[in-house]
Amino acid sequence: MSVIDHLSGPEDLAPDEREAVETLLYRLADDEFVLAERYTEWQVRSPTLESDLALSNIAQDELGHARLWYDLLEDFGHEEADLLWERDPETFTHSTLVELPFESGDWADPIVRSYLYDEAEHLRLQALEDSSYPRLEDRVGKVQGEERYHREHATNWLERLASTEEGHERVQTTLDRLFPHALTLFQPVDPEIEARIDEYGIRTQSLDALGQQWLETVVPFLESLGLAVPIAEDGAVTADDLPETIGRDANHTEDWFDLYEEFTYTYHDLGRDSAERIMSDPDDQ
Amino acid sequence: MTDDTTPTDPSSEFAGTDRDDRAHDVDVAFDPDADATPCAYTEYVERGEVAGLPATGEDAAGIEREVWDALYDVEDPEMPVSIVDLGLIYAVELEAIESDLESHEDDVHVRVIMTLTYTGCPARKMLTEEVREAAASPRGVASSELELVWSPEWSLDMVTEQGKSDLRDFGLSV
Repeated sequence: MSVIDHLSGPEDLAPDEREAVETLLYRLADDEFVLAERYTEWQVRSPTLESDLALSNIAQDELGHARLWYDLLEDFGHEEADLLWERDPETFTHSTLVELPFESGDWADPIVRSYLYDEAEHLRLQALEDSSYPRLEDRVGKVQGEERYHREHATNWLERLASTEEGHERVQTTLDRLFPHALTLFQPVDPEIEARIDEYGIRTQSLDALGQQWLETVVPFLESLGLAVPIAEDGAVTADDLPETIGRDANHTEDWFDLYEEFTYTYHDLGRDSAERIMSDPDDQ
Repeated sequence: MTDDTTPTDPSSEFAGTDRDDRAHDVDVAFDPDADATPCAYTEYVERGEVAGLPATGEDAAGIEREVWDALYDVEDPEMPVSIVDLGLIYAVELEAIESDLESHEDDVHVRVIMTLTYTGCPARKMLTEEVREAAASPRGVASSELELVWSPEWSLDMVTEQGKSDLRDFGLSV
């Protein structure tokens, strides 16, 4: 008997379970892919060589993680072209936090964004560690292991940026702009399907519970840096706190459609109809 | 494997900036007061040994032995170390397609279960295809397939003694 069991997959799921798993995978994969896509805009533009390398490496990590989740969607019969290059941009379910363009040249933006995002990602991965879908559970530990320094990087930078007057001001301005969008990380794609994701144990914490834990983590820390977090004193999040478009429900800002056009431009320019491979994919054998 | 390290020390850019003792509840391990190490942010994680892993084909014989020998010949794309000694192979399974393994040739299907050191590994396609081809190369093997798994997580503890020796020869401190 092998130490490694073969992991049950889509064929072992009932249709409503399949829909729940797929919905969760799209949430995860789209967030990671789009954020990585945005991060790469800082390549050769970050304030120092080291910060450039760090953020580029974080982008590479997120692309690797996006691939792990898209891989699992391929198990359901989807192909890479359908998942990304030829997918209707109006079907992506990432949070608006990851699609917004960076304020030009403002290093506070990727740092605040990364901090808000990576704390949320840490929590949502924890809620998958005991997932009832074995292929998700199998991958979570590896991803968590690669995520830790993202939070460390963002936290260290936030402390430094917030310690000078100009830096503090920039961080505060960025926080005011991004925080409502960060709240959308915990919004449902579809409330009924999200309830099923929880009911089937695919995710072991509800979005509301995760959102609450996230607030309990990020609000005290940001306040300890002397920052004002734009949220009601009792910590309650209402619809008024959310931005006009939340992303998760597949409604997006115009910036997303520009970004989509940009990253699919070459694919269409070269007249492709499938994702080009240097060699065949072992998963396809 | 080099991809498994943290790229840079972000704090060194501002070495002169005072870090205060402001508490924050991020459970990160960085300790500014710890003794400096050659690369403070390079994390060679030891996660403890996992019983039965990695698979090394120690007791394999016959066609299975030949499959293992072929896998041993595949090297990491960045370092001169066999992927078996690096600890990437978690299982090799042989399956007779039509009849028993002894009496027929070219009727064995091989399934390799392996992991990678890093999810963002840019050499993933190249390496996994090379492994799959190697597994199919011995006479008597009709086909092969490869499954990537991500747990148990690969760590330095997966590297065999031979692998550690090869990595040391290459100049790594392991």
